[in-house]
Amino acid sequence: MTIASQSSPEAMTASPPAAAPATPDRTPARRRTTLTRNRWGYAYVAPFFLVFGAFSLYPFVYTAWISLHKTSLSDINGGTWVGLENYRNLLHNEFFWNAARNTLTIGVLSTVPQLCLALGLAHLLNYKLRNRTFFRTVMLMPYATSIAAATLVFSQLFGRDYGLINTVLQSVGLNPIDWEGGTWSSQIAIAVIVTWRWTGYNALIYLAAMQSIPGELYEAAEIDGASRWKQFLNVTIPSLRPTILFTIVVSTIGAVQLFGEPLLFAGNGTTSGGASGQYQTLGLLMYQQGWSNFHIGQAATTAWAMFMIILVVVGLNALIGRLRARADR
Amino acid sequence: MATLALPGTETTAVRTVDKPERRGGKGARAGKAGPVTYTLLTLTALVSIFPLYWTVVAGSHTNAEIAATPPPFLPNASLFDNFKAALDQAPIGKAILNSVLVSSSITIGTVLFCTLAGFAFAKLQFRGKGLLLALVIGTMMVPTQLSVIPLFMMIADLQWVNQLQAVVLPTLVSAFGVFFMRQFLISALPNELLEAGRVDGASTFRIFWSIVVPVARPAMAVLAMLTFLTAWNEFFWPLIALTNANPTVQVALAGLGSGYVPQRSVIMAGTLLGTLPVLIVFTILGKQIVGGIMQGAVKG
Amino acid sequence: MATVTFDQATRIYPKAEKPAVDALDLEIADGEFLVLVGPSGCGKSTSLRMLAGLEEVDAGSVLIGDRDVTDRPPKDRDIAMVFQNYALYPHMTVGENMGFALKLAGVDKAERARRVAEAAKILDLSEYLDRRPKALSGGQRQRVAMGRAIVRSPQVFLMDEPLSNLDAKLRVQTRTQIAALVKRLGTTTVYVTHDQVEAMTMGDRVAVLKDGVLQQCDTPGALYDRPANVFVAGFIGSPAMNLVTGPAVEGGVRVGGAVLPVPREQLARAAAGNGQVTVGFRPEAMHLVGPGEGVQVLVNVVEQLGSDAFLYTKLAGEDTDDVLHPSDVVIRTEPRSAPAMGEKLWLGVREGALHVFDAATQQRVE
Repeated sequence: MTIASQSSPEAMTASPPAAAPATPDRTPARRRTTLTRNRWGYAYVAPFFLVFGAFSLYPFVYTAWISLHKTSLSDINGGTWVGLENYRNLLHNEFFWNAARNTLTIGVLSTVPQLCLALGLAHLLNYKLRNRTFFRTVMLMPYATSIAAATLVFSQLFGRDYGLINTVLQSVGLNPIDWEGGTWSSQIAIAVIVTWRWTGYNALIYLAAMQSIPGELYEAAEIDGASRWKQFLNVTIPSLRPTILFTIVVSTIGAVQLFGEPLLFAGNGTTSGGASGQYQTLGLLMYQQGWSNFHIGQAATTAWAMFMIILVVVGLNALIGRLRARADR
Repeated sequence: MATLALPGTETTAVRTVDKPERRGGKGARAGKAGPVTYTLLTLTALVSIFPLYWTVVAGSHTNAEIAATPPPFLPNASLFDNFKAALDQAPIGKAILNSVLVSSSITIGTVLFCTLAGFAFAKLQFRGKGLLLALVIGTMMVPTQLSVIPLFMMIADLQWVNQLQAVVLPTLVSAFGVFFMRQFLISALPNELLEAGRVDGASTFRIFWSIVVPVARPAMAVLAMLTFLTAWNEFFWPLIALTNANPTVQVALAGLGSGYVPQRSVIMAGTLLGTLPVLIVFTILGKQIVGGIMQGAVKG
Repeated sequence: MATVTFDQATRIYPKAEKPAVDALDLEIADGEFLVLVGPSGCGKSTSLRMLAGLEEVDAGSVLIGDRDVTDRPPKDRDIAMVFQNYALYPHMTVGENMGFALKLAGVDKAERARRVAEAAKILDLSEYLDRRPKALSGGQRQRVAMGRAIVRSPQVFLMDEPLSNLDAKLRVQTRTQIAALVKRLGTTTVYVTHDQVEAMTMGDRVAVLKDGVLQQCDTPGALYDRPANVFVAGFIGSPAMNLVTGPAVEGGVRVGGAVLPVPREQLARAAAGNGQVTVGFRPEAMHLVGPGEGVQVLVNVVEQLGSDAFLYTKLAGEDTDDVLHPSDVVIRTEPRSAPAMGEKLWLGVREGALHVFDAATQQRVE
């Protein structure tokens, strides 16, 4: 609450030619008014935060509480406090490590090709095209297809006996593959589904970022004598770096949560992820623990482990981004 | 691929500049696509469409016909028989109706609540705003798995298992939506417009209704389309909260494959039925959805 | 109609060290056209927004007529504002834009239509009433913004750089139109600009601000003839007044090897600070004198404008190759007989046209 004084010698009073009316008495200091500090802000965010708090924040925190209990689905409000035992068990649980390993390999198998393909596709879409709306829309079709539908179709295509892919392999003289039965083959097949659904979407994101690069940058590079490839390396990629980091984060979060594809890949909704769990992911394991085996506490622990993995990945990304930014300076 | 001419050199090749619809001449570098580009793009388009096309092919044959070697590549006449069989095996008709109800409710709620909150985060000053926004953005990283257990307990308590509100309510708002609307309004809504409204004597609510909403309409439309699509395709939570007695499309599809002797052509016909509504919407609004995703990408 | 009073009005932005507007005292008469002018960041727009109610007043008060409006929201102040980017509602037609405030005030439809039509007629917008702002040219949009203000017949018009989005030619034309319109309506007007030409041509009085502090408020003529300090002297007038600082010596101020004569008593007061005196003389206040009589300069650049020519000159003995500072003294001359580049001239300042400032306080010394 400052009472401003005539702080500068330069300040001077200006009066109009006519005599000034007397200023009414008043106290110069006052509380900050709310003309621009708007309490209405709370009213606008309130509906969102009510729903958000009840159905997102509260469950999120409560899951942590459950993970410290031995609870089953039938015993919903009870359960005994076991502290960190669920976490200790998890670390000694071979199913957890199997699922974590599968999640990692399927994640790498789907994310890396997906983003590389998307980058190349965006580059192609960035040319002056006839029918470009058509191409963009068609490439987004897989994104509009649901996980369930996509997985059902692909599990037919990857079918061992009558699947189209094996038919094609045989017609060119190769041996058919038991896609669902093998570890690598099943993980590759699942990665194909993920890649099919998300490549077009990521390509559009890259395309949007490419189009917001000022044309002058390329003109300047060209005048400096950079070839097209050099331009791609030295202008396009650095300009896309924040977008690339963003898509890596988003697809990693998606990969850690992978659930629908492995659940439906065998066609019959088994939670084991194949006969020997060869494609069971963390998301699937969590569902199995909670809704097949009814061990809610364990499931909550697995969910938290998934979140930790995401935090580590996002943290690493932020770190890399920061280091790169520092290197650029 | 056209070569870009160096200004001031002897080769006076015409520099290809993209149409002005590329915002403000930005990204003006793109050359004309050559045959290689078109070939690659066409291939990608085929790969994108083929599984959907195969759904039609497989769904319109009998089981025996698609098992033949070589397999058929054109649609056949059995489509409606298979549709009928699929409708008998799984409550797909009810599921589509449920999905329309659920997705519409979620869309309306999300657009409304996220526009309100996005506006406040973009343009109003209030204590704790930064913290609340960080909370919203932070939870975009939290996997669904982390909230389903307490959510399931909640709806079990409320006796909402197998009821549609169990699927609608938890998805009624989205952190992404708030962020999306905020990013849009920060740049699309000049502060002066709000100030003009205040000088003109509009109340806070009137400013929202008469000035903010009309300006936000394009972004609201984009958010509505994306939300509807996401809600329609939502799988994990509906699978937990609903059963085949009262399913959404995705839940019904999950049940379709779990028959004792899976009939491939019937599964494909059912998949086609459940996917058709979004594909129709996508055919009509595809261009807008593409634009919305690209717009959101630049803003985000 | 009403007077406007700023009484020690102060605005300190959160986290800022210095006030954006520091104890502003200003009284604006009923019907007066007052221009707030200054470089960017001087607080002129903040002052206007404090009057509009869009900016808080941290100390002091703001009055419209006899009403203390310091804590009143904008809608209770009976003011209308024209924004720099016009702030037209993009989804409303021209007519709806102009009538929005009346609609909110509960004015009935027929009356609203009548007043909008009337304003549209004055501004030559009648045929555009059904169009959206997007379909209008820059000049037309500017007029809609004006129309939105005058439809309400408010007590005070507030205008925040309303011409700066127009091209140069249209700006000059619109400048005169606004001045004429406001005179005709007789409404008290506070007008903000960074352009001193706009300020001088439009204002009944002009208030010059710098760093949140009012420097001087007077009629355009008085500002030009008797700037209160070095800042105002340099800010008002184009090209700017020549300002040179030198030590006080017997009989005057030493400038580039010569002595500009200053009366003894004035010199004594001006040099009271640190012995240095700043003298100012406008480009048109110079005349040629015989060799050795005045200040010697070297013509560095000649600008031919047709009606005038401006000589950019260096004081003799200064470095003429310094491209960033090509000139110490600017001189206005007859265009037909202008000296050429490289010529050496001897200059004197016309009788009574020399402004004297204390170099320490920067204040004018009479």
